[in-house]
Amino acid sequence: MSYNEGTTFFYMARLQSASPMLSQHLLLTVAEELKLPLSQIARQAELGQLNGGVDLLTIQSTADTALRLLDNYALGVRLSLEPQQFDVEPVSVSSVLYDTGQQLQSLAKIYGVSLELSIAGKYGPVMAHRQGLQAALVSLGAALIEALPALGGAPQLRLQLATHRSRYGIVAGLYAETDKLTNQALQHGRKLQTHSRQPLMNFTHTSGAGIFVADAILRAMQLNLRASRHHRLYGLGTVLQPTNQLQLV
Amino acid sequence: MAQILLIEPDRVLAETYYRLFVGDGHSVVVCAGAQAAIMAADQIKPDVVVMELQLIEHSGIEFLYEFRSYMDWRAVPIILQTQVQPGEFSANWELLRSELGVSQFLYKPHTTLHQLQRAVREALPQPAGLETS
Repeated sequence: MSYNEGTTFFYMARLQSASPMLSQHLLLTVAEELKLPLSQIARQAELGQLNGGVDLLTIQSTADTALRLLDNYALGVRLSLEPQQFDVEPVSVSSVLYDTGQQLQSLAKIYGVSLELSIAGKYGPVMAHRQGLQAALVSLGAALIEALPALGGAPQLRLQLATHRSRYGIVAGLYAETDKLTNQALQHGRKLQTHSRQPLMNFTHTSGAGIFVADAILRAMQLNLRASRHHRLYGLGTVLQPTNQLQLV
Repeated sequence: MAQILLIEPDRVLAETYYRLFVGDGHSVVVCAGAQAAIMAADQIKPDVVVMELQLIEHSGIEFLYEFRSYMDWRAVPIILQTQVQPGEFSANWELLRSELGVSQFLYKPHTTLHQLQRAVREALPQPAGLETS
């Protein structure tokens, strides 16, 4: 075995042991997911040729979403392989949610989803890897935005980026008016990921790559993706630990 | 022109196909899921159904069994246009064709709008007195 092969083997073994989700199955899920934006771009370009008008903004937003999914997947892999390279720091959850909303705005617009920010309350900073946390929330948000129109139910589609305090810590998540976002559905999906092309069938028609990438990134940061409630909304999010020391300063 | 029932869960693709079919002079009703599609079919009496198999909650296969269980809809042509690769259906193609009456199977990522237009044209009954060569 050459040095390179040995190194690759070492990293693959570490990848598998550090996070089983970051495996070939996740890569397959991402590949399946990418067919959607690429199909959208190809068909919109074709429709533009036929009818004479191309919706460049939609094409740009679709391409950006696909690129972000790839970037987030790559970040998850790097976080898992070299966790020592990614230091945690005091992070404002409100600021992360605000930036997440900014990144999701154009996608939400083309899917007819209204984004809302619910960051009332002073929770102070949490200890987290900012880029990783934001990547997970963006990935999760994009997946939910694409799924919401097909879920039906509420006439006005809205996704709320919210934070609140729970007895376990500070929760940051994305919430919608659908009761399909449950821990049971999420766990079922994780089990089915290696066997099904649509493991989260109760709440998305896609491979669910955005949700599994978020799951993988959070796991790599020793966090968990889980279902939670915010007021009357259902959603997915993660629990973060406040930095009590900084709050005293 | 024809009445098309389009079952497409992705809003962006649905909008694209809608504009294509309307541009061809068809009347189109778009549904994102199986349940809504059954209710829509009852109202519009479609001439052809163009559908994805990967839907939320109820799969496209469940829709097909339900749809075909009604006498009125047994002869309605169905075009599957799906993200599911054809290889995954090779074993079940006969079932889809003979039992569920699927007239065409199109792999969505490789199906151009022109091919979809042609599939719809071929699926629709030819007007009386019109000879096709």
